[in-house]
Amino acid sequence: MDTHKKHGFWHRYFFSLDHKDIGFQYLLTAMFMAAFGGFFVYVFRYNLAFGPNDIPLYGDLAAKQYNQLVTNHGAIMIFWVGMPILLAVIGNFLIPIMIGTDDMAFPTLNKISYWVFLLSCFVLLAGFMMPTGAFGGGWTMYPPLSVSDFGYNNPNTTFWTNFFTGNTFFLLAVALEFISMLMGGINFVVTTLNKRAKGMSLMRLPLVVWMVNIANLLFMFSVGPLIAGAFMLLMDILVGTGFFDAYRGGDPILWQHLFWFFGHPEVYVLLLPSIGAVGEIISTFSRKPLFGYKMVILMVIIAAILSLVVWAHHQFVSGIDPGAANIFSLLTIIISIPFAGMVLSYLGTLWKGNIRFETPMLWALGMLATFTFFGGFTGLHLGSNVFDIYAHDTYFVIAHFHYTLFPTVFLGGFAAFYYWFPKFSGRMMNKTLGLIHFWGTFIFFNSIFIPLFWLGLQGQHRRIYNYSAWNDLLMQPEHIMARQIATVSLIFLLLFQFVFLFNFFYSIKKGKKASKNPWEANTLEWQTDSPPPHGNFDPYPVVQRWPYDYNHPEKELDYCPQSEI
Amino acid sequence: MNIFPESISQIGSEMDKLFWIITAVVGIATVITLFLFIYPIVTRKRNKTKEEMYMVGNSHGKRKWIYIGMILLFLGDMYILLKEHPIWESVEQTLPDPDFKIAIIGKQWMWNIIYPGPDGKLYTDDDIMAYNELHVPVNKVVHMDIKALDVVHSVFLPQARFKQDALPGRTITRWIKLNKTGEYDISCAEICGTGHSIMRGTMYVEDFNTWKKTMANIYKK
Amino acid sequence: MNTKQLLKPTMKDIPQGRLGMWLLIAGEFVIFGGLMVSYLLYRMRYEQWAEMASHTNVILGAINTFVLLTSSYFVVKAHQAAQRKDSKKITMYISLTILCALIFLVVKITEYSQKLHHGFTFSGKELAASGKAIESSYWGFYFLMTGLHATHVVVGAIVLFIVMQGARKGKNYHRIEIAGLYWHMVDLIWIFLFPLLYIAH
Repeated sequence: MDTHKKHGFWHRYFFSLDHKDIGFQYLLTAMFMAAFGGFFVYVFRYNLAFGPNDIPLYGDLAAKQYNQLVTNHGAIMIFWVGMPILLAVIGNFLIPIMIGTDDMAFPTLNKISYWVFLLSCFVLLAGFMMPTGAFGGGWTMYPPLSVSDFGYNNPNTTFWTNFFTGNTFFLLAVALEFISMLMGGINFVVTTLNKRAKGMSLMRLPLVVWMVNIANLLFMFSVGPLIAGAFMLLMDILVGTGFFDAYRGGDPILWQHLFWFFGHPEVYVLLLPSIGAVGEIISTFSRKPLFGYKMVILMVIIAAILSLVVWAHHQFVSGIDPGAANIFSLLTIIISIPFAGMVLSYLGTLWKGNIRFETPMLWALGMLATFTFFGGFTGLHLGSNVFDIYAHDTYFVIAHFHYTLFPTVFLGGFAAFYYWFPKFSGRMMNKTLGLIHFWGTFIFFNSIFIPLFWLGLQGQHRRIYNYSAWNDLLMQPEHIMARQIATVSLIFLLLFQFVFLFNFFYSIKKGKKASKNPWEANTLEWQTDSPPPHGNFDPYPVVQRWPYDYNHPEKELDYCPQSEI
Repeated sequence: MNIFPESISQIGSEMDKLFWIITAVVGIATVITLFLFIYPIVTRKRNKTKEEMYMVGNSHGKRKWIYIGMILLFLGDMYILLKEHPIWESVEQTLPDPDFKIAIIGKQWMWNIIYPGPDGKLYTDDDIMAYNELHVPVNKVVHMDIKALDVVHSVFLPQARFKQDALPGRTITRWIKLNKTGEYDISCAEICGTGHSIMRGTMYVEDFNTWKKTMANIYKK
Repeated sequence: MNTKQLLKPTMKDIPQGRLGMWLLIAGEFVIFGGLMVSYLLYRMRYEQWAEMASHTNVILGAINTFVLLTSSYFVVKAHQAAQRKDSKKITMYISLTILCALIFLVVKITEYSQKLHHGFTFSGKELAASGKAIESSYWGFYFLMTGLHATHVVVGAIVLFIVMQGARKGKNYHRIEIAGLYWHMVDLIWIFLFPLLYIAH
């Protein structure tokens, strides 16, 4: 056990119980799904800018397919890219080595959760092969649209014809994905509570471990109603119950409540692991302790709890009680305050630091800047229920949530990736290519979505195949121009990802060998070999201090590993 | 290049103003934060002692700047809420007496508009139905009963800064008062199937006399 | 190898199996909680649903409640036997529990067939045809909530069976307790469902 055991390909990628291998499987699967999500967005954005005919690599696009691509782009990017990368990959790869243990608490459960996740990917993609086509009712699956052609509404269908539809497969895929993430979440929380190394008290845990666990708990306590709702919607489609059928006593708004009760915390489920990783990176490359560590954790817990009671801000114009909308608006705007505390703590960490501009640091700063300045601050516009009347379901909302989710999933995800790549592969990534990738992604990401903010304010509403019906309002030369800028930027953004892919596969084979601790960081994972052997540590570390003793006045070096006395 | 399409209602102009108020609050916050971002990056190569750099922030006193930042943002938040609440109240929570009533019914993929017949009352036998054409008088309070027949739609009048989801099985009454004549858009803002992008109506805001003539023409048909 | 074992991180106060099961139970309760809250919201909105609720078979429901409570007792007994590592007693009590689960399912199937026979189907086409469209969605909740619970009973019984096989071979006694916890949760959910669907008129 003490030497790194070489496993065969099949053993490593299909049957391994090792948390690092499972994390790597999640990563590859998520990258595979991201390719789909990216291709879909290319096709429908191309259509919006240059028309539906002769789209390179695709062909002609019809309105129905447009809806399907939009729907699946949203679902894939959130459930099959964001969730696995930020919860499963970060959780699987980092939690055991950061808390100083050999593996997860339930390795078999971990493996099962990956297999269920993989199954959910196939179920989702199988939806495209159904006779009715993939599901195209928006990733929020609002009934009655999501049941309108099936179940009770269509007497010509039977259980099985209802079953083999994109709608059923989409719902099943989402449900399977949730079950997989629930199993993973239980595993992460139990691992963190039970398998910490000696001396690793809760207040000595690295921030990212805290964040992944808070995110998991938040996920577990918010997803239940949506799973219940998914069962109800599934029964509406399959056997024709009337849970969401207004003419049989059902209520379409109930689904919206169940969905958004999960939907808003879901954003924080994605955000927290990402912002946790960014915190680690900022502290390491500023060579300074994380400012206000305990306060950040407290603020995040407050924000997580608040996020459970703000869901109706997605429904200000959906017909809920306008009096209640005031309270939801208040709570939504208030939620900016704990996040302000968190961001200011991070900026306090930067203050007077000896900042080193390594690749991960650039990604982390890019994430923090875009998330705060555009994602967070436009949240105030939309949290205000009055302005939301106008902005709801326009491209302003689209730009807003892409400015929260893209930095979270991709900028933060890439920051974590570039930071921990030496650890999991044993090799360094090429810095020049990393910088090209960063600037390409960062610049073109902004030039996609800043025009969309403006288009949204102009009244351009969502999920429209083409705007020719709104000739005066939305088809003026400047609108067409803005759409084309966004689309061309998107194509460049996607092209720059190939730089990353090349860098990834090149570095994993031929990169410079990484030392144990290339970034001179403190946390436990940097005390073992790169890549860590099976079993991670030998001997197991004993933790002596918290993870952020950078530039400690009593130490000679500017860092001091957690296991050092 | 204008930011918003033209506004044709008093409420709409107030909403635009609210947008700029929020943007101003956010702008101040952005300037402060941007300074906190850029200053440490610019001064990163200056020599600092270890004592200076070992900032842990483990007491309230050391975290005072963070608290001040949070309090400032809180004040900004409260200012936004104070400014927005009266608008919300007048838009959503009050229903001034109507001069005219209509019903808008969303259906895949068109807007059915029901005008009261010559008796001036809605939902009687002489009601008249029109498709995708909404004629409303200028400077009058118009009540709209918003419904849907099949799936969720959303009545979106961009120039009036008005939006309301139309739900099957319930009737939601909202009001508008427009102060400019002309032809404007009715969009559907909630995805409603394949034809979502052709679901457009036209709203004709007419001065009272023209509108009366139009209505008379409609009744004749 | 031995030195490595010694240095392995020690387990904290709560055994990890039990901790994991508690988290799973919390998750399950949120799922059922979502259903129950949705049901209650509708129930309070529609007075007609009380009449529908009176069509449920309270006697069969009460029998099932009794059966499940008894099975929980057997699980507790099995847990006690597991603490003594008494394989025979464990096998006996778990078998009795699984028997209870089977009785529960038989009663459930009888109930379902009665309901379907009386025209209280999923889609409620018959009810809707007789002008009781709103009442028909009560049966959606009835079938979904009891059906989901019955699925949990089946899963619980299978889990208990697997765990019992281990105990018969004399290993993994602690799993009895964890599977038992799950079974108690199944029981407890029924305790919530029974008054909600059957009794409250």
